[in-house]
Amino acid sequence: MAGYEVPRKFPTTVVGSYPKIPPAMELIKKRRSGELSEEEFRKLIKGPISEAVKDQIEAGIDIISDGEQSREDMVVYFAERVQGYRPGDWVRIFDNVYFRKPIIVGELKWTREMIVEDWVYATSISMGRPVKGIITGPYTMMEWSFDLKYGDRRELIIELAKIIRREIDELVARGARYIQVDEPALSTRPWREEAELLKEALDVIFKGLDAKRIVHICYGRLEKIIPYILDYPVDQFDLELKNSNFRLLPYLKEYGYDKELGYGVVDVHSLQIETVEEIKGYIDMLMKMDFIGPEKVYVDPDCGLKRLPRSVAKAKMRNLAEAAKLAREEW
Amino acid sequence: MKIWGMVLGGFPRSRYARYALRDRERGVIPFKDDVEAIDRASVQVIGAQLAAGLPVVVDGMIDWHDIFRPFVDAWRNVTVDGLLRYFDNNFFYRIPVFTGEPDPREYVTPRRVLRFKEVADPATLKVVLPGPVSFAFMAKNNSGLSNEELAEKIAYILRDEAKKAIEAGASLVQVDEPFLADIDATRDHARLAAELVNKIVEGIEDKAIVSVYFNVPEPSVFEELLNTKARYMMVDVVDAPGRAEKLIRGTGFGSHTPVIGAIDARRIIDDKPSFVEKFLKMVDAGVDEVVVTTSTWLDLIPFRYALRKVYVLGRIVEELAEKNGYEAYTIWR
Ligand SMILES: [Zn+2]
Repeated sequence: MAGYEVPRKFPTTVVGSYPKIPPAMELIKKRRSGELSEEEFRKLIKGPISEAVKDQIEAGIDIISDGEQSREDMVVYFAERVQGYRPGDWVRIFDNVYFRKPIIVGELKWTREMIVEDWVYATSISMGRPVKGIITGPYTMMEWSFDLKYGDRRELIIELAKIIRREIDELVARGARYIQVDEPALSTRPWREEAELLKEALDVIFKGLDAKRIVHICYGRLEKIIPYILDYPVDQFDLELKNSNFRLLPYLKEYGYDKELGYGVVDVHSLQIETVEEIKGYIDMLMKMDFIGPEKVYVDPDCGLKRLPRSVAKAKMRNLAEAAKLAREEW
Repeated sequence: MKIWGMVLGGFPRSRYARYALRDRERGVIPFKDDVEAIDRASVQVIGAQLAAGLPVVVDGMIDWHDIFRPFVDAWRNVTVDGLLRYFDNNFFYRIPVFTGEPDPREYVTPRRVLRFKEVADPATLKVVLPGPVSFAFMAKNNSGLSNEELAEKIAYILRDEAKKAIEAGASLVQVDEPFLADIDATRDHARLAAELVNKIVEGIEDKAIVSVYFNVPEPSVFEELLNTKARYMMVDVVDAPGRAEKLIRGTGFGSHTPVIGAIDARRIIDDKPSFVEKFLKMVDAGVDEVVVTTSTWLDLIPFRYALRKVYVLGRIVEELAEKNGYEAYTIWR
């Protein structure tokens, strides 16, 4: 693996997902219907992964992802691979649109690697750039599944945490240096008892782990949840800021935030491409608030890029990387 | 003490109701066929409630896309916009957009009561209305009115709605104010809600329920809400049982008949009678009537499990009545 030096100040990264590159969706469907075995699927999905990796490298991202080309849905993907789950039943998302919410029916068990192979492959073609190992967190897995087995949320979240830890151990054994746990469900329930429940699970996931420990949280009531999560056993929170107009920043300062910050500076829900000047302005704004140093700031999008057209996603990454470069000269 | 059970609100769609709505949206089937499919699903869920012995039932609101939509469709000067997360659910409602003072073209609930009251017999029907505060504060308000004024206008329409529903044969009118359990809800919201609910249920106070769910309201908020004259007051005790217990032991239900949302409507695992019993014991000393209900509407879980929850609700009410010497009020007694 060729050496690649991640910049000391304002390294750039992504939250994880990238637009699905054909034939990724088709492969996922064939895998689900049994037309493809897991092994065949893993082999064929390498095509879309290599495209996603190429886009990130060309855009100038320092710490990249595999683009989550294998994952149609951040919960269903794991539910389909962890023992104890069965395919879900239909629940409504809005209007007359439904999705199948997975159901836990038996004791949960890790039986095989779920994201390691994609990570290994992405790393092999990353030209030395570190690839983040990204996995859906236990709180989100719990909240976005139904449970017919445990009946006790604490017991359930700890079981999920053990499975996630097992997968992360595999990743770290293969050399992963950055581990990110995604918890979008947390900010929808911004109460202390919920944050404490996740903390217990994160202790299981991160205890003694020899890698950068990151938790991604987005949307919802972030400002309400922040005070309850400052003592989490993590090195970095990766947060959505642009979409909520950076209203979170004064809270971070007020609470004496001292971890690294994954600084979401482009809106993944908007087709408008933020200019280099705009993004540079957001970085300057953070620096002028004077509570965090440039070596603790990881510049990235608000959230996964998967809902954007590929060209827009790539352009957003490119401008973000360019802005970080300019900021490095100044700060 | 008299104890009875009811479902709080709407049901999920059966598979065939879902297909019928989809086919109608695509123009594959005519309007009439989709209405008939909805009617059949409604009969199904009413039947499930009767089989559980519930003395008051809902028609399931199978065709409602969200709690606001049928009213948005029935009123002038309000339309819908993009999607917004509905509290902490993985469900999104369309934001109502008020462009002027709302003005009813027609009423939503009375014709439903007329359509389903025979199917519901020997139980009676409850109608559910979106609370004016939740409606106004969860909408986009381009009406030129303040949110408070808008909520008041909504309340006046809902007052006629409630009156007409009772005239059509509904036995209860429920006003849902989930916004009051939200983390951003204040005493002022609750004061306004209490005042407006009193307008809506004027003259039918004895047949009125106010419900708050998805979280436990702050005690100060709940205290204000207790000033409503509606006879029944519903609280979700499932979402945060610890805080619910504190609220019930601290603030209590005032002079209202407690409606305990103890059957978990957002999870599909069977509820434990002991959990429900614990909350009944907190209130049974001071009152002569308690209602056990689902923690929210049943439309956030799959259809078959919604049916299961109704069965569990009926069973737990009977079991706890027998065990504790309460008088179970069902369609059989
Ligand atoms: Zn996110």
